[in-house]
Amino acid sequence: MPPRTKPEQRTARPVTITAVVDPVAGLAAGTLNDSLYLYDTNRTSGSTGFGTLELRTRVRKGDTLLWNALPLECETFVALVGIDIDRRVAEPVRKVYPGTDIVFWTATVKQEPTRPVPYRLSFLLGAVAEPFIADTSQFLVGSAEVKEHK
Amino acid sequence: MAQQHGIIVLIDVDNALKERSLDGNAYWFDNMKFLGSTGVGTGNLTTIVPGSYFLDGSQATEQVLNWLPAALGAVPPTVPRNYHAEQARQIDREALAGIAALDGSDGAEVGRIQEQVGRRAKRTRSSRSLASSKVLDVTGQAAGADAAETYNFPAPVITDITGPAVTEKIMYPAQYGSPDMIYDGWYWAATVDTSRPGTYPYTMHIQLHELVDRDGELVWESVDFTCESALEVITDPKRNAFTGSGVGLLPMPAFPPAP
Repeated sequence: MPPRTKPEQRTARPVTITAVVDPVAGLAAGTLNDSLYLYDTNRTSGSTGFGTLELRTRVRKGDTLLWNALPLECETFVALVGIDIDRRVAEPVRKVYPGTDIVFWTATVKQEPTRPVPYRLSFLLGAVAEPFIADTSQFLVGSAEVKEHK
Repeated sequence: MAQQHGIIVLIDVDNALKERSLDGNAYWFDNMKFLGSTGVGTGNLTTIVPGSYFLDGSQATEQVLNWLPAALGAVPPTVPRNYHAEQARQIDREALAGIAALDGSDGAEVGRIQEQVGRRAKRTRSSRSLASSKVLDVTGQAAGADAAETYNFPAPVITDITGPAVTEKIMYPAQYGSPDMIYDGWYWAATVDTSRPGTYPYTMHIQLHELVDRDGELVWESVDFTCESALEVITDPKRNAFTGSGVGLLPMPAFPPAP
């Protein structure tokens, strides 16, 4: 959780980035390229690319980010096992919801991106030992990008 | 029997409550994209229902659908559904242990325990979505003094399914009890009449819960919404996705495959 006494106006909850995974389709195809849908809670601040691999999440310096995964079939195992991102921008830390082994990752945005910062999510599906990584990057974007789109 | 369809509705609860609308705040999924469902992952899902006939030309059986709602930006539904109640109890146990270990009048420690215990909110007795009056945040910890801004969103609740697909008797939706505790032991399902091809819209009625401060007291209030989707019944025969042919038995190899 972010510190509770932030001077500037900011959303109290973390900016959550949720990866919706169709694990059966991903396992059948051997790739996540057509079975991964990304969403975040910052749509009204200017995030774009909802429901695609190329989610562009609008972030500000100091924002707390939270990544989690939502499988379309709750019987099939899905876990977010890694986030590959420039550590000068954010250093994601693996955590679990207390009392469970369900994983989420959090990070604080160290600097507002002047250009889109790409990152890659990797997942474990079913009983396959090799992680699945989509071919396309996701992005954290700053205010410059949002103005460009307007 | 053919595979059951699963339909998931993911709700951006924070924005839905702010905008008092599910327009742009509901994302629909099903597991039938490979058969021709369109709009998967968007607000405009049309779920394909193949199967007026079996491959041999005989009339097919009805198709079964299941609906499950989920909240974006909340503790995911993959934690056990009694998670909220368990976690509330665990937090209280830890606080009691902290009180037992207090020596004398350590004011700072009392404050820390108060923070750890968090806050409780009023809820209606009949509420199924709210397992405990303790308020958790989106990481599963007790929400503190600013609980009304940081609280975890309870799972959306489907309260009804209506619209042309129902009035034209294409599907018969109902809520069922289930031993699957992931969804609180309740789920909505329907059987679809696959003998009348066509596109049939339907409306899902969804209840969200909002934590509001009323005269210094936290209260859960329910807010009702609707969103739309559609079924498209087509005449393609029902197939077995493994073999591409009839939905009967899977072909058995003469010998088990080598490990």
